[in-house]
Amino acid sequence: MSNKAARNLFVFGSLFFFVIFLALSVDTIGKVDKRAPEITEEVNAGKMVWHKYDCIGCHTIFGTGSYFAPDMTKVVERKPKDYLKKFVMDPRGVNPKAAMPKLGITSDEADHLVAFLEWISKVDTNGWPPKPILATAAGVGGAELTPGQRVYQSLGCSGCHMINGIGGTTGPDLTKVGARRDRTWLMGHFRNPDDYVKGSAMPKVEASDAEIEQLTVYMLSLK
Amino acid sequence: MSVKYESQKIAQNFFTFAVLLFLVQVIVGLIAAVQFMRPDFFILNFNVIKTLHINALIVWLLAGLMGATYYVIPEESESELWSLPLAKLQFWATVVTITLVVLGYIWAGLNPQANTTIFGTLTLNEGRKYIEAPRWADDLIVVSVLLFIFNCFMTVYKTKRWTGIQGVLLGGLTFLALMYLPGMFYTKSMVKDQFWWWWVVHLWVEGAWEIIAGALLAFMLMKVIGARREVLEKWMYLEVGMVMFTGILGTGHHYYWIGTPSYWLWVGGIFSSLEPVPLLIMVWDAFRTTREARNVTNRAGLYYTVSHAIFNFVGAGLWGVIHTLPQVNKWTHGTQITTAHGHLAFYGAYVLLVMSMIYVTLPAIRGVKEYDSSRALQSFWWMTISMIFIVLTTTGAGMVQTYMERLMGLDYVAVKTTYNLWFWILRAIFG
Repeated sequence: MSNKAARNLFVFGSLFFFVIFLALSVDTIGKVDKRAPEITEEVNAGKMVWHKYDCIGCHTIFGTGSYFAPDMTKVVERKPKDYLKKFVMDPRGVNPKAAMPKLGITSDEADHLVAFLEWISKVDTNGWPPKPILATAAGVGGAELTPGQRVYQSLGCSGCHMINGIGGTTGPDLTKVGARRDRTWLMGHFRNPDDYVKGSAMPKVEASDAEIEQLTVYMLSLK
Repeated sequence: MSVKYESQKIAQNFFTFAVLLFLVQVIVGLIAAVQFMRPDFFILNFNVIKTLHINALIVWLLAGLMGATYYVIPEESESELWSLPLAKLQFWATVVTITLVVLGYIWAGLNPQANTTIFGTLTLNEGRKYIEAPRWADDLIVVSVLLFIFNCFMTVYKTKRWTGIQGVLLGGLTFLALMYLPGMFYTKSMVKDQFWWWWVVHLWVEGAWEIIAGALLAFMLMKVIGARREVLEKWMYLEVGMVMFTGILGTGHHYYWIGTPSYWLWVGGIFSSLEPVPLLIMVWDAFRTTREARNVTNRAGLYYTVSHAIFNFVGAGLWGVIHTLPQVNKWTHGTQITTAHGHLAFYGAYVLLVMSMIYVTLPAIRGVKEYDSSRALQSFWWMTISMIFIVLTTTGAGMVQTYMERLMGLDYVAVKTTYNLWFWILRAIFG
């Protein structure tokens, strides 16, 4: 092959692939809005908050970012919104072990940010992040679970709390909670956490009396 | 040995600035490594430290590439630069802009409320990884880059002496300048935001920069070994051609999970899997050419040049291809495996490239005949061994993270603080 032929191959080949890429990009830009909910003013304001505090400097979103702090793509599915709001405004006020510093995010900004993160969680991401294989497999049977465990799972408690190493780190570890708390405390605390732990970021547990009872029995068994 | 054209010496300014920023990058990198264990270790939070770390990286590599280009263009077109004062102005304008941007990052880090919005854009930090620089700085950077490219083109235009190497080099630089633009406008949709962001990031490092690397590799092999231009240029065209054929559509491997249509799983998976091929050809090219070399005076230059080719393939190629297929990437995406790939890819593809350009050209610029290359070789081994350890520890951390967080469903923070602790300690020691 002559040098000129090699050069032409490079120049025109590159142009050829760039044109295909451009066509695919135009198609994609036309389609992405249909793969996500409508962008309200609040969501857009939340996106600006995300940029202002350089959140991506530690976190990832859609798995892209800085790999230093948790991914935010589905965070609203794991944590209650009220909790998120309180946490971003004062992380260590909610969880003394939190690594996140207090950045001075205002109440309005926190509301917008949560709206933005809710929008993010509803984007069609081709199934990412995948459900963890082993954790999902352990819960599939369901039959082996006690009624209390089933309530624990359906309420999503493990989004914040940990039992035997499985679950979140933002709320207190419950592995030995049965040794620390009694029945009255647990029942009352489920109904209104703020009465028992001042400034608690835990939401009230919305469940029937029977379910609260089952959950309490489960908690007391953890010693 | 000395330079043929006086204006080539401007390269030294850029190299000095590059080395200075490289030191900044290493120091803040060490702080960041400690912050993985102790987030409150330093007055600035991790996000600011990390922003400085990666921005220093990008800018020192760019400064090095600019300096290298100012060296190559006069030599290839056999004339002085079109305007030396313009090159000097462009250098100082770049230094001032970058300094202001850095001060802005630090200020916004100490007081996030200072990062206000004016005319819809943030004034100190745009909060978008790699392109955090605010809009006013973007504009100044674009002006600086345009002046730079204009100066180079005028030099070549004046002499009408086009060589393949400078053609590809300037082509790559023009592509680089154009691909900065998609990152310069605001979109309300985070999906579109990331879509255009990847145009900048991917088409820079896996497109324009690789073209520049191909041209500079050919130039260095010619200088250090005296290899024949015709052969080098033909292989250069084939290499950079392959880079573009695979790399442009390879962008698709960033469009798997960000809210874009699923056809990108196919496009990205197929084309990005082929991306290591041209990098392997570059390694083969470097070895084939150097085997013919008999008398090489600049041993350090040769060492760095060949290892650039090797680590470009290992870091960008191998460490990339292992997690580029959607089936794998679904589990590893956004873990420390990406960190490992990023570190080795930048080190092999660009850090060693700019360093070898400095080692190849600086003796001529400073007018030294021979220099003691033992320290250059020593620093090469220290750096490379450290980098390999950083990559192995983060890869290990990434594998543990993928298994425990993604497969078993453990909490991110639990994995990071408990199960990965030793990886962070080792990384900080070697990093």
